[in-house]
Amino acid sequence: MKKKLFAVVFCFFFCGMAWAASNEAQSLSVPCAGCHGSEGASKGEIPVIGGLSKVYLEATMKNYKNEVRYSTVMTRIAQGYSDQQIAAIGEYFSNQPWIPGSQEINASMAKRGEKLHMEKGCAGCHGAVGISSIATVPRLAGQYARYLFYQMADYQDPDKPISAAARPMRGMLAGLSDDDLEALAHFYASQK
Amino acid sequence: MRRISRRDFVKAVGLTSVAGAIGLPMISRSAGSTAQIVVVGGGYGGATAAKYLKRYVPNSDVVLIEKNTDYYSCVFSNEVLSGESSMESIKFTYEGLAKRTINVVHALATEIDPNKKQVKTSMGKAFNYDYCVLSPGVSFNWGVIEGYDEAAAEKMPHAWKAGPQTVLLRKQLESMKDGGVVMIVAPPNPYRCPAGPYERAAQIAHYLKYHKPRGKVIIMDSKHTFTKQTLFMDGYKKHYGDMIEWRSPVDGGKVIGVDVDAGTLITDSDEYKPAVANVIPPQRAGELALKVDLADDSGWCPVDQRTFESKKYDDIFVIGDAADAGEMGKSGYGASSHAKICAAAIAARITGIEQPEPSYLNTCYSLITPEHAISVAMVYKLNDKGTIVGVEGAGGTSPRYAPEWVREREANYARGWFKNMTSDAFG
Repeated sequence: MKKKLFAVVFCFFFCGMAWAASNEAQSLSVPCAGCHGSEGASKGEIPVIGGLSKVYLEATMKNYKNEVRYSTVMTRIAQGYSDQQIAAIGEYFSNQPWIPGSQEINASMAKRGEKLHMEKGCAGCHGAVGISSIATVPRLAGQYARYLFYQMADYQDPDKPISAAARPMRGMLAGLSDDDLEALAHFYASQK
Repeated sequence: MRRISRRDFVKAVGLTSVAGAIGLPMISRSAGSTAQIVVVGGGYGGATAAKYLKRYVPNSDVVLIEKNTDYYSCVFSNEVLSGESSMESIKFTYEGLAKRTINVVHALATEIDPNKKQVKTSMGKAFNYDYCVLSPGVSFNWGVIEGYDEAAAEKMPHAWKAGPQTVLLRKQLESMKDGGVVMIVAPPNPYRCPAGPYERAAQIAHYLKYHKPRGKVIIMDSKHTFTKQTLFMDGYKKHYGDMIEWRSPVDGGKVIGVDVDAGTLITDSDEYKPAVANVIPPQRAGELALKVDLADDSGWCPVDQRTFESKKYDDIFVIGDAADAGEMGKSGYGASSHAKICAAAIAARITGIEQPEPSYLNTCYSLITPEHAISVAMVYKLNDKGTIVGVEGAGGTSPRYAPEWVREREANYARGWFKNMTSDAFG
């Protein structure tokens, strides 16, 4: 009993720092690692979310929750969180470092993608290499190619829900073939 | 990761000498350690718990006791049966955890003394703990299916713990003649990985389709329904036609005994002699949990579902398949979710800072073919009775009617899920 009390008193002073203040956000966010990787640094296929902007992360989760964005599984999961919890999760992952996905890049496709990126004026919002300074615009550089492809295909699909913020994407991608989308995806994926 | 500062170190050394005077067990406790935490069992639950405990309380001593040096994941082991994955691809080591200064001890934990607060091991060494996290997985209720015991499993593999049993079942499938029948005996609820037997049927059929096209898979079930049932049944039909048959107890699916020498499965009314018999027996908490009396009459371990502390003994926590975790099914993802909450609860106990409200999550994928996966997900919370319940309106399964690209995306994400879940636990 005595030793327990001692340990508790000791720890209260000296290890509280590691057991961070933002416990609530951490508690909500760490289970996401099972799919999105530890601290959101996905090791494969599923998008990297660690290091994206808080604004974008929060908007995305809310879009899934409100079903104005399509996802195979996130629309089901996002229903489980309040808007406040979503804000906390967004904050947590935005504070993590961005670690690019580990994937094989098709270099010739990436090159063709870069050309499209320039021609279509994607850089206007997404930056020269897929890193935007606009908080609402997601980072694409180093993201998983297949995920980027899915996302662009979803923007093209008139039967899929689309958020107001993402609506310009439908026009931007109009007329692009699947090959074009894949090329763009490889270009962004190849950037770090 | 926070490093211990010089000031903390001086204080810590101060504590060590005082602690010695008041009789703290000194064995294995390093200078500056705030707590001795012993994690028993290195599966998804135990490995994740050890990692997150070290992360939340860096100046604690975390010992992980696990008898095997390699871990073979049950998740994705069905894909080894189909030949789509290799044993190597489901093998993980504890090197990543050792690098995080977790003391990984490869020994069998033989006993826990809740009074002395000590874990005894097969190598003779005992480990004192302030907190013990037990993630013992499941053990089998041998004999409930008459004649099916540990020895029988060498002829009729369960392959429900990945490793040599997986290899054995795969070999049996490989040496089976075309036209043979594979019978999978699915266990009664609750058991590890609710979707597992049904994914397995699909994976075996996937192998047969390309190698033994006249073969057949029959699932002999003691349950009347199962998880993602329509999604599985639709998937079976689409990809394997009549190759897979599911028999509920009404259709004579309940197996009550085996005759290992004759190679037969026995039901109330019939006796079958399949070419390959995969018998997945009824389950309960892992052996050590039973031995230490952590389980109740149900065979599973009652815990405070906020912290995963055992209801039977203070300072022992039970996570993963062995724990009664309310509405959560028994899965690797779930075990990892328990582990993180348990680590947070212990960290709160050590630091005196309040434990955050727990948030539980589960996401499970099943592969029907390499390009067709289905999923189930749920977000859980604690209700006011202290029971883990699904959040209303959240979660659920993949839609029943969906185009092929949806199944394909889920198959792609299933592979990412496996990579991330394993690297989160072992990396």
